This record gives sequence, structure tokens and C-alpha cells, in this order.
Amino acid sequence: MGDKSLLHWIRHAFRLWAVYARMDALVIMRSLGTMATWIISDTVLNVASIMGMLLLAQRFDGIGMWSKYQVLFLLGYGSVVDGLMTTFFGYNVAFISRRLGRGQFDHTLIQPQPILLSLMTEGFNPTFGLPTLIPGIALIVLALPHLALSLSAGWWLLFGVNLIASTAIVLAFQFAWGSLAFRAPRAAEELSSSSMQLIVQLKAFPLDGLGGLLAGSLIFALPVGCVAWLPCRALLSISKESFAFWYTPLMAIGFTVFATVMFWKGLKHYERVGAQRYSNFGFRN
Amino acid sequence: MSESGRNATPTSDFVIEVKGVSKTFRQRQRSEKLLDAARGLFRPTIREVHALIDLNLQIARGEIVAYAGANGAGKSTTVKILSGMIAPDSGEVRVLGMNPLRERVRYVGRIGVVFGQRSELWGDNPVAASFEWKRVLWDIPRDRYDFMLGFVKELLGLDEFFNSLVRELSLGQRMRADLGLALLHEPEILFLDEPTLGLDVLAKRNVLRFIQDLNRERRVTVMLTSHDMSELEQLAGRIVLINKGELAFDGDFTRLRREFGERRVLLVETPDEKPPQIEGAKFVQSEGNRHEFLFDGGQVSIAELMEQVSAQTQVLDVETHRAPIDDVIADIYEKWQASKGRGALPENAK
Repeated sequence: MGDKSLLHWIRHAFRLWAVYARMDALVIMRSLGTMATWIISDTVLNVASIMGMLLLAQRFDGIGMWSKYQVLFLLGYGSVVDGLMTTFFGYNVAFISRRLGRGQFDHTLIQPQPILLSLMTEGFNPTFGLPTLIPGIALIVLALPHLALSLSAGWWLLFGVNLIASTAIVLAFQFAWGSLAFRAPRAAEELSSSSMQLIVQLKAFPLDGLGGLLAGSLIFALPVGCVAWLPCRALLSISKESFAFWYTPLMAIGFTVFATVMFWKGLKHYERVGAQRYSNFGFRN
Repeated sequence: MSESGRNATPTSDFVIEVKGVSKTFRQRQRSEKLLDAARGLFRPTIREVHALIDLNLQIARGEIVAYAGANGAGKSTTVKILSGMIAPDSGEVRVLGMNPLRERVRYVGRIGVVFGQRSELWGDNPVAASFEWKRVLWDIPRDRYDFMLGFVKELLGLDEFFNSLVRELSLGQRMRADLGLALLHEPEILFLDEPTLGLDVLAKRNVLRFIQDLNRERRVTVMLTSHDMSELEQLAGRIVLINKGELAFDGDFTRLRREFGERRVLLVETPDEKPPQIEGAKFVQSEGNRHEFLFDGGQVSIAELMEQVSAQTQVLDVETHRAPIDDVIADIYEKWQASKGRGALPENAK
């Protein structure tokens, strides 16, 4: 952190978010055509990605022990996690292997701020994130009146905590895998895309009924279960365990520690070898 | 640019101190044979590439130093170490009294880095947005920002494209904008890695003038790498040559020419298209009755050469000048390559 206080860096982060938000808006507002095309195509893409599960839930009036509206909530929750990822960690922060593999991490190293702060702020693009975030919120809003939930302040607080935890898990998963690009830049350049694809494709599936080994691996190894299924079981009272609300936050802590260790080790390796290749592809343009 | 236009001899402290720095990269060897490749999966053959060997270097405040060497000589490794991107294996690096890697956050706020092939600008935004981004990220006080923005805008002529999208700029405009961006926080040292790569003659001249003005007016220390030796000679008072990771020469260009032979060009015009035979000079080419020779001014005088020519034919015109620095350096690189090893230079050249 250098010789500056934590408060200084927190203020600095907010100033940076404001700058990135403005720059993001400027990109999309280049022309009315660009703006309309981007919003429409992203919205269609996001709605399409959850449509299969939605239709199944509608056709069979739910899936397994999940009612139709619980599935709707699950899909909404998963989309909001996606939206938060796109909003806060866009611009190849979530796809960290691309930055590392293409030698673009050098740009981060010449910024006079902690690396963590660069990574937490540089991917902020709310304008581009909204088309993912809004459909997710809409699904939740649609589902909630049909769910017998007592929406107390405590519930909303746990909802928020779980949302942040799910997002942290996705980010940690991306960084844990993506850190391999420190060691094999070319081979692992697109690793983050594959791991993200895995998350996006499987996040909407209720995992109830799966065998212990398979369900366990989809929670502890490839944490797709933590993106929506596990937290929604708690939030929708499908799980009756009183501690269920804290499964996802605890998993988030575990994954974050693991990802931090992986990234730190990668960074140490980078200190020794640096980047042997450079491609500006996808970088700020 | 005249000799007097070069940066003044520094009189103050050293801002860059490199002591006994070595850096070795391990490179896995590959074979075109499948069997070798399969064997290499378990028992890889590793070659050690010595990017830097016991490098010692001191640069004073306000100097412009040209850092040159053939491809793979270790230039970029040095710049990366000095920029705090990678760590040396051994030795000590102090820049502005700091360890670039361990004190990265504080350190990079006081230096500027420009890579000719990389841009810090945001492609989908107007140039102005990148400057504003820099102001916030580098935490530049508003009054200093306004002052420096005016300064770089004027010197680099940024106004004409300041509100254009970065992706729509020409290469020269992009480089000017990148240079301006690198200077906004008033860095004390500027590392420029191939800053004129791909620029046309005019853009190149503008960039060079800017670096010179900057050095003169703000006393910014500049360390730049380039393959264009004439450009380096115009700009820098001092040249550091590295060869296969070792410091091979550290001094000014005049001394460089002297150490490696006062290579000169002789152009003789005679009535004949056949070139005269001159002992002590190497024939290069003829264009009609105009013949070009190369000779070492330290070994043989022009008078001696002309005496030989006059004995053979009538001399209609004669012209002599120093060989371009690129030729001198090319000769040096050639000698180094031929030597296939280190330590090919006399000790006093280092």
C-alpha cells in the first residue's frame, strides 16, 4: 500500500470507478446506432442464455423440488451474478488469462497503485454490464411475489451477502485458473474463456438429486453450484439448515484465499521471467 | 540537430544506479523430431540465455542516454528491470534511490515508460479521456495537470486530434499522444523503448525534437533504445552499447567512432567509369564515373589516398565525409557476431 492510508485508496477507488464509468458510457454513446445495437444484442443474448431452463420450468411447472417461480428466481440470481461480473470485472479482468497470456499485465505494473486496486477498478463498465444485470433483476422481481418468503431486512442483507459471495467465487475461480497463464502464456491464454463458459452454461441447473461425488465436485472443485444453486436453496428456504445462508460466503472465503495464493505464486514467477510475448489484441481497443 | 543541441553534461547526482546486475532466462529447447519432443516432455533440454551479465551502469540526472545493442542483446530486459516489471537474478538496482520492484507503487509514480509497440491510450475513447484517466489514476493535482496538459499539447501539437478517437489516429499522432500521456505526471526519468518505431520522417523528427526540448526545459533524464543509430546520435550525448548481455561500450559517439575506427567515405569523380585502385580504401560502388570508397581515417590520410588516385587518373571532383553511425554500429555488431563470444572488445572500450 506504500505510504498512503487505506482511506486514501478507498477514495481513490471510487474516483477511478467514476472515471471508468464515464469512459464506458462514452464508448457506447459514440452513436445512437452503436448504442441501440449493443443494448439490444446483449439483452437478446442474455435472455437466450436462460431461455432453455425457463421453458423447461414452464413446461413441467418446475424442476424437481423447485417450483416454476423458484427456478425463475434461480435464473434471475445467476444472471445478476453474471451482470455483476460484467459490470465490475469486464475488460478482461475476469478473463485474466488473456491479459497475462498476451503480456498486457506490464501495463498494470507501471501504474502507481496496488495491483489489487487496478484489478478491482479497471474492469468497471456499468453501461456494458446493464444489459446482463437488468434481465436478471427483472426475473427476480417477477418471481418474488409468487414465493412465500418473508422479505425482511435480514433476508435482503443475506441476499446481498450471498450475491457478493457468488460473484467473488466466480472471480476467484477465474483467477485461480487464469493464473496458469503466468507460466504458459500462449497455451493458457484462453483458459479464462473456457472456465467462464463452464460457469455460464451450468450455473442455471438445480443440482439436487445428483450423487454426492458429482454434487461435491460441482461445489468444491468447479464451483458452478455456488453461483446460484447453493445460495438460492438457502434464500428460498429449500434447504432447511439454519447455517445454509453461510455456505456460499464461506466457500467464497476459501476460493478467494486459494485464488490469491495461485495469483501470488504466478506473480512471483512473473517477476523472474516477465512476459516473453506481447499482443495488444483486446487491449483498450 | 547540432552538437550544441545535445543535452548538457550532467553535473549532479546519479538517478540510475545498476550494480553487477545479471539476468538469465531458461529456454526449453525443441526438436523437430517426435521422439525428441516426447522425451522432452519428461527430460527437457534447457538452455540458459544470459540476458544480462554483471551489468554496471550509472546515469546522472538530466542525461539523455542511448541504450543500444543488436537484437537479443538485453536492451528490453534492462528497461523492464529498471521499470520494475521484472527482478534481476543478482546485483542491485537503485533508481531515484528506490528499488523499482520492491517500492513499485511509489517508484512508478516518478517515472514514465513508453514502449513504441504498446500504447497506454484507450482505443475506443477520445484522446482527452485517456488524459483524464491518467490524471485520476496518478492522482495529479488539478493545477499541475492543467499546466502539464498545456505544455505537452503545445510541444506535441496534440490539439488537432485531442478529441479524436484513439483508434482513428495515425501512428505518429498516437505516439505523440502516448508521449504526452507519459509526461503528465512530470516524471523525473523517461524510459523510451523504440519510441519512433514505424514513424515517418516528419513524425520522427517531431518526436526527437520533443525529447530534446523536454530534456532541456525540464531536465528529465531520458534513457532510450532504438535501432536507428543516427537518431540516437542526434539526440543522446552518451551511448551505452551492450553485447550478449555485457556492457561493451559506454561513452559518447565521438569516442565510439574513434575506438572502432574513424570510418570515412570517399567519393571520387573521374573521367572513367572504371574505379581507380586505392590501397588502404575499400571500394564500395560506382555510379557512372562517381566512385565510392570506405577508409579508416585513423589509418590512412585523404592526401595519401588522393595521391594514389592522381597517379592513375584525372580527378574531376572529390568529397569525403564521416560514414553514417548506422554503418559503424553495423560493423561493430558484425565483429561481435563473428567473435561468437564475449569479451571481443578491448577492455578500454568498456
